[in-house]
Amino acid sequence: MERLMVKVKNPFVEALQNIAERQDIGSFKKIFDYFGPRLKSFLMKSGADDAVAEEIIQETMTIIWTKADYYDPSVASPSTWIYTIARNKKIDILRKTRKAVLEDIETAILPPVESKADENIEHDQKFEMVAQYLDDLPKDQLDLLKMNFFEEKSHGEIADITKIPLGTVKSRIRLALEKIRGKLEQDGSMVNLNNDGGSKVN
Amino acid sequence: MTFEILSTPVNSPASLIFQQCLAEVDPENRSLNSAMNEVGGYFLENAETSPLSNELWNKVLNQTKNKTSVPQINEKHDPLLSQLPLTLRSHLRNKNINWKSFKDVKVASILPKYNNEKLELIHVMPGAKIPQHTHEGNESFLVLHGSYSDEYGDYKQGSVQVRSDDHNHTPVGDAKTGCIGLAYTHGKIKFSGKFGKLLNLIAN
Repeated sequence: MERLMVKVKNPFVEALQNIAERQDIGSFKKIFDYFGPRLKSFLMKSGADDAVAEEIIQETMTIIWTKADYYDPSVASPSTWIYTIARNKKIDILRKTRKAVLEDIETAILPPVESKADENIEHDQKFEMVAQYLDDLPKDQLDLLKMNFFEEKSHGEIADITKIPLGTVKSRIRLALEKIRGKLEQDGSMVNLNNDGGSKVN
Repeated sequence: MTFEILSTPVNSPASLIFQQCLAEVDPENRSLNSAMNEVGGYFLENAETSPLSNELWNKVLNQTKNKTSVPQINEKHDPLLSQLPLTLRSHLRNKNINWKSFKDVKVASILPKYNNEKLELIHVMPGAKIPQHTHEGNESFLVLHGSYSDEYGDYKQGSVQVRSDDHNHTPVGDAKTGCIGLAYTHGKIKFSGKFGKLLNLIAN
């Protein structure tokens, strides 16, 4: 898939901002329609049954609705933010279904945010660069990342499944992550330059 | 070691909080963790779809009906809290930290014990010493503030050490800053010195 390297605002960034600013149900539905079915396949692949997966989606959507103003487009792409919330919520809910001691860890499951971004700055491009890099990776390398960060398998499990030596699994995953980190930071420094001395305009 | 811990899928609240704190304490860790999350987000965006049940959207609407976007809360100023990562600060925001004092070392549980896991804050006063001990199962210790040393080396803020049964050590808090750390353990601590038996009784 070829990505257009032009500045097109990610529609989900806008949707999240509409929810935060004016509780826009239409934007909320747009996120539900796109991410709901994808979250379900993610959750079911990593061990949840149908009912639990939907419970996690319901809780994830509630967090998106009530905490949309925590979303910071300079820190993560919308899909990353939603993925993080769902993954963390899953840990909370699976624990409860295992009849462990109930304890409110609501606040702890939220990805921490340090600063609000200047809304005038375009961040989409650095996340597009990451997506482009992943699109271009050979399939066998992409599969290693998928097993680690999407199917939530440990390096040892991945080595068993793929018959690739453990050290090689680790170094390949690490190498890809270093490349991605480089892309995220490269753009970050440019953003800082542009943002020099700038203040948030409301 | 940091890379190993950050890329191990989390499976409990304690491991999640520990991992998020580890990601937060050091800019290198933070950017590595962001890269990992972006990979997860990429796969979510490109994931296959599974059909949702018809009533799910209405359930979501019902649950969110009377809720609006909640602004971020400013916590009360507490000198200790301000030295902790945001993950812990937000987790502890509305809770009392129940410190247990062992002379110059204070210990507070962060989560109720779950399976065999414990997550504890350890506050070692400047120059204070934790008696010689080993760990049944693994202990991962993350330095959140200050530094400490033991028979194996010196550890500064942001570093993580994994200890097991065969590490008999005597940590000492830095003489100036002391040390605050987050300990994620899978078994009991076993004191081995002169008062070992008594300490084991009190600590576990």
